Amino acid sequence: MIQFFRVQKTFGREMEALRDVSLDIRKGEFVFLTGPSGAGKTTLLRLIFRDLLPTAGQILVAGRNVVRLPGREVPALRRMLGVIFQDCRLLMDRTVAENLHVVARALGTAEEEARRKIGYLLRQVGLLHRANQSPSSLSGGEQQRVAIARALMNDPLILLADEPTGNLDAELATDVIRLLRELNARGMTILLATHNAALVSDQAKRTVVLKAGRVVADNGA
Amino acid sequence: MRLPRLGALLGDTLVNLRRGGWGGLAAVGAIGVCSLILGCLWLLTVNLQAILSDWRAQFEVVVFLRDDITAEQRERLRRWLHAEAAVADVQYTSKEEALALFKREVRGQASLLEGLGENPLPASFQLRIREGHQTGTALRAFATALERLEGVEEVLYGREWVDQVGRLVSVLQVAGWAVGTILGGAAIFIVANTIRLAVYARAEEIEVLRLVGATRGYIRAPFILEGFFQGLLGGGVALLLLFAGYRFVVWRLGLAPPGLLGLGGGRFLEPLQVAGLLLTGAVLGGAGSLLSVRRFLKA
Repeated sequence: MIQFFRVQKTFGREMEALRDVSLDIRKGEFVFLTGPSGAGKTTLLRLIFRDLLPTAGQILVAGRNVVRLPGREVPALRRMLGVIFQDCRLLMDRTVAENLHVVARALGTAEEEARRKIGYLLRQVGLLHRANQSPSSLSGGEQQRVAIARALMNDPLILLADEPTGNLDAELATDVIRLLRELNARGMTILLATHNAALVSDQAKRTVVLKAGRVVADNGA
Repeated sequence: MRLPRLGALLGDTLVNLRRGGWGGLAAVGAIGVCSLILGCLWLLTVNLQAILSDWRAQFEVVVFLRDDITAEQRERLRRWLHAEAAVADVQYTSKEEALALFKREVRGQASLLEGLGENPLPASFQLRIREGHQTGTALRAFATALERLEGVEEVLYGREWVDQVGRLVSVLQVAGWAVGTILGGAAIFIVANTIRLAVYARAEEIEVLRLVGATRGYIRAPFILEGFFQGLLGGGVALLLLFAGYRFVVWRLGLAPPGLLGLGGGRFLEPLQVAGLLLTGAVLGGAGSLLSVRRFLKA
């Protein structure tokens, strides 16, 4: 589903964020991407959703060569992906439901279908009762669940999560991981970047370890 | 574009305009000032061109003939004038007709006619000149050629007037383009910066939209429409001020009261020109927005 072939990414002249990374993530896998801060985890995720282009190497996502993808086809690529971040990036001047509605409109979803889907997803993440509240009135874990619901609005094939539990205590982090595992059980491919080693060891899933831009361990390769 | 999408787009634009605050007003003001100055220049040019056009329609060159011209020379001259490409029409006024005309014009001032003795007024040809030949250079060349012909005493036309009005209109047109270009650039710059603030204020939303696969067009459209409406508003304000200023000048000069957009003491912009001025403002606003959003989305 996601393939990296000898990918290198350099920022400026000297800052090598990724060095010769090759990776094959299969459909339906749940992969933890771990390593210390600055190891290149976020860069790797950004390359997948074409927020960045690699300096060298090729990347295939669902059969598409991301590196050679023309600019006008990038939105179509991103519609196959769901992306969530540590800081959630919710719109604080909108309600929880409106945060999801923004996506529905951008995707051209019909109004009735959008309402149905927002209701369904908020129920899935256990926040239907919070639909009309501002995200600022929610806890960190709840905000992250809203972000996950938003990332699922486009029925993604792949979910990319960058430190989704970074701001959460252990209990809330477990809740979020449980939610992601449920999605994975339904066939969604999930790539989760985290530097939380304890979280990774609890889950018994494939783990790719990055260090200084290189893959130093991969228990599922 | 489907109607619900268009409705949502207009809704987004109105919300953005409301959120724009002082920055939005600055953009409207910048486009308003620019459009007002352009409108003034345009109005002035339109009126001068109207004057010039009216005057050109009545424009005559008068060829005064020598008293000792023979009938044969006069006929030769008439044939020459008829054959000349610059001449649209030729009228002959004899010495007697010139005197009769003069007497009609000075009626009531009989003392002017006393002591005239022999008729001092010369016979003349009055020539209507085709519009393409009414430039100062063409007329000068034509008059010089005429003056060399047998039996011609003098050739008169409003040479200075032709040159001056022609020059003034040319200068105004060039100035209009120059000032318009500079002011247009300034207005685009101000709008671009104002919209950039709005873009930054909505950076998170734009980021979310990018990530879920919204097209660039979808993300840009509300901002471009916002700039377009700001421009339209600025152009509208400028137009109102221009019309008020025009009515004031007409009133101060004591000219006949004009219709809303019509003729009278002067000439206001035609409906199509009014639309053009509004559209100029709107295009300036839209272009400023596009510039700003393009730069942001490139990053």
